[in-house]
Amino acid sequence: MSAVNSTAPVSASDVVGDVAVRIEDVVDRDALAEMCRSIQELFGIGVRVYSSEGALLTNIASEVEVCGLVNESSQGRAACGSTVSAAKSVDPGQDGDIVHQCFTGLAYRIVSLDYENRRVGRIVLGPFAPAGLREPPPLLATSVPKLDVIQATQKLANVPRVKAEALGRIAHHLKTTLELIIFSSHKAFVTSKLHLYSVRESYRALEEKTARLEQALSRLKELDRLKTNFLGTVSHELRTPLTSIIGYSEMLSEGMAGALTEEQSEFVKTIHGKGEQLLALIMGLLDLSKLDSGTMSLRQAPLQIGKTLDEAVSTVAPAAIKKGVELVVEKDETPCEVAGDGERLRQVFVNLTDNAVKFTPKGGKVTLRSQITREDGDDDDDDGAVLLAPLRRVVQVTVSDTGIGIPASERPRVFDAFYQVDSGSTREYGGTGLGLSIVKRIVEAHGGTVTVTANEPAGTTFVVTLPSAQARRTLPSRVPPADRP
Amino acid sequence: MQLNFAAREVAIKLVYYGPALSGKTTNLKALHEMVREKSRGRLMTLETKDDRTLFFDMLPLVFKAESETGSMSLRVKVFTVPGQVVHASTRRLVLQGADGIAFIADSQTSETENNAASFLDLRANLKELGRSLSQTPMVIQFNKRDLANVRTDAEIDDLARRGKEPVYKACAMNGQGVLESFFGLLDRSWKKLEAEHDLTQKLGLGPAAFLEMAAASLGHPGRAQALSGACVGGSHAGARAAGVR
Repeated sequence: MSAVNSTAPVSASDVVGDVAVRIEDVVDRDALAEMCRSIQELFGIGVRVYSSEGALLTNIASEVEVCGLVNESSQGRAACGSTVSAAKSVDPGQDGDIVHQCFTGLAYRIVSLDYENRRVGRIVLGPFAPAGLREPPPLLATSVPKLDVIQATQKLANVPRVKAEALGRIAHHLKTTLELIIFSSHKAFVTSKLHLYSVRESYRALEEKTARLEQALSRLKELDRLKTNFLGTVSHELRTPLTSIIGYSEMLSEGMAGALTEEQSEFVKTIHGKGEQLLALIMGLLDLSKLDSGTMSLRQAPLQIGKTLDEAVSTVAPAAIKKGVELVVEKDETPCEVAGDGERLRQVFVNLTDNAVKFTPKGGKVTLRSQITREDGDDDDDDGAVLLAPLRRVVQVTVSDTGIGIPASERPRVFDAFYQVDSGSTREYGGTGLGLSIVKRIVEAHGGTVTVTANEPAGTTFVVTLPSAQARRTLPSRVPPADRP
Repeated sequence: MQLNFAAREVAIKLVYYGPALSGKTTNLKALHEMVREKSRGRLMTLETKDDRTLFFDMLPLVFKAESETGSMSLRVKVFTVPGQVVHASTRRLVLQGADGIAFIADSQTSETENNAASFLDLRANLKELGRSLSQTPMVIQFNKRDLANVRTDAEIDDLARRGKEPVYKACAMNGQGVLESFFGLLDRSWKKLEAEHDLTQKLGLGPAAFLEMAAASLGHPGRAQALSGACVGGSHAGARAAGVR
């Protein structure tokens, strides 16, 4: 058996490996901005959050007048820009918490955001005026020469002073909150990703299993086809010499090769009889192989069911008479045309009648009854009943015997090929266990059904239902092959 | 293992495997409690409301190592798999890239079959991932030693001496045997990686020094070898049994 092409398991390395978490991936920006705004409103200090790559994720800046003044000049703008860009890249040190000085005397507090001991971003708080700030540092005048220092000093005085300790607490709170948000968001991210991967992985495993099963199925189908072919070939090859045996024994018993003694004649008749029995068996096998391979042809012609039943009864009558079983046909007077293959339907009823006779003891009775009826389950007040009723007409043929009967538990299986209710019956009554399986397949190919019920008080009734010619206009040209692996 | 020379970072993945309700998550929670806060991250548990692991639990442990070639960051991520049979595909996903496996068995005699089934499941999943048990460092922990109806110490010792994997005895509920199993696994996993990647040469850090440094960083200085060696069987055959019970 060749190996099934297996696919590699789904990779989940982004959640079960050690991949650095990107704050952009796990934190909602609007929610982040909202949270930072609340901090800004509460303490009056601007908040910026950067990712580890320096991308600005949120910018809730406070309006600081002195910054506006500085930004009026181009030199001021340049100096301000370089301070801000330094704030987003300066190393916050081992502790992840530093103060970054601005040339105006104001300052920024920079706190790192850590997740799983990796720096994932930073919070920049400010600008704020450190508690001890009284006047602008000399750097302000040198950085922005054209600045009105007096005005700047006044504006600087308006900036609220913040104690380092208080700011530290704010920064720590914000850091803790944000890190918790990152953790929770990452957890949700991992959960949803892993859920997706698990589904994909289960799907992959199922697909692999399906592929293996499909391979096994096609292998089995191939074996089944080989078996059917073999059965067909063997049956055919067995029939050829058997025809000679039957033919020559027949000629012998007819005295074509000279007169026979009584004993010789009896022996030859036995040879002939057993030959016929063997031929029937082989024909059954051949039919089964045809049914299996879907090569049993059906020739459609309109026929009256009554005629078919008469033919079947006349075929079985000699055996019934010999056994002392009464054989009766009860026909519905309404003529009903069935679209079917007369020869195959005759085979069906011969088989059922022959079976019934075989399992009915001497003095028993086998009854064939045909009637026109309607398909079960249809109510008269069905929509469009007047139009549909003719199509629902069916011919029902029952074959009842007063024989040994079939236990209810065994009934569903009697139509399986090679099945016999008990293996002892094969020896007692003969047969191959093929007949009923062939009957079922032929009836079903006609769009009909065959069921088995008990015949009260003793025996069995087989019920064959065939659609009327109006209901079934066309017959398949062949009996479709069995629907099995 | 992920080795990032530029960032001087080594990441190791350890997976706790085992049958349902054998105490994998309990081990991880106990480990979380028993290591220094500074060296551990948040314990991530993805569980249902009845406390059964749905996807996995993950405990990140990170510490700095000073070696001859400079300082480096060592990251150990410890995962548990969901034990329930239905989560087969998730187990396979979590198992990906594991550098070492701790098999957490339930000591109760009634769980013998479940232990074996889970072990076979582990073997099948590794195979599916293109790996084999023989190539994967592994320790076995017999958990729940405090319960009644458990396999006896003598029985486990006897079986352990015949087996390949070192066996640790534990009662994860009260932390017994948890560090021992963890360091035993870390020790074996590092030795395997060391042999494959020549880490002593590359990082300037030998296996014994690594384990000692890990123990110190996690708050258990000087105990590395004693913890790792507290097992029966495995390469430490004949070592004294864990002092549990």
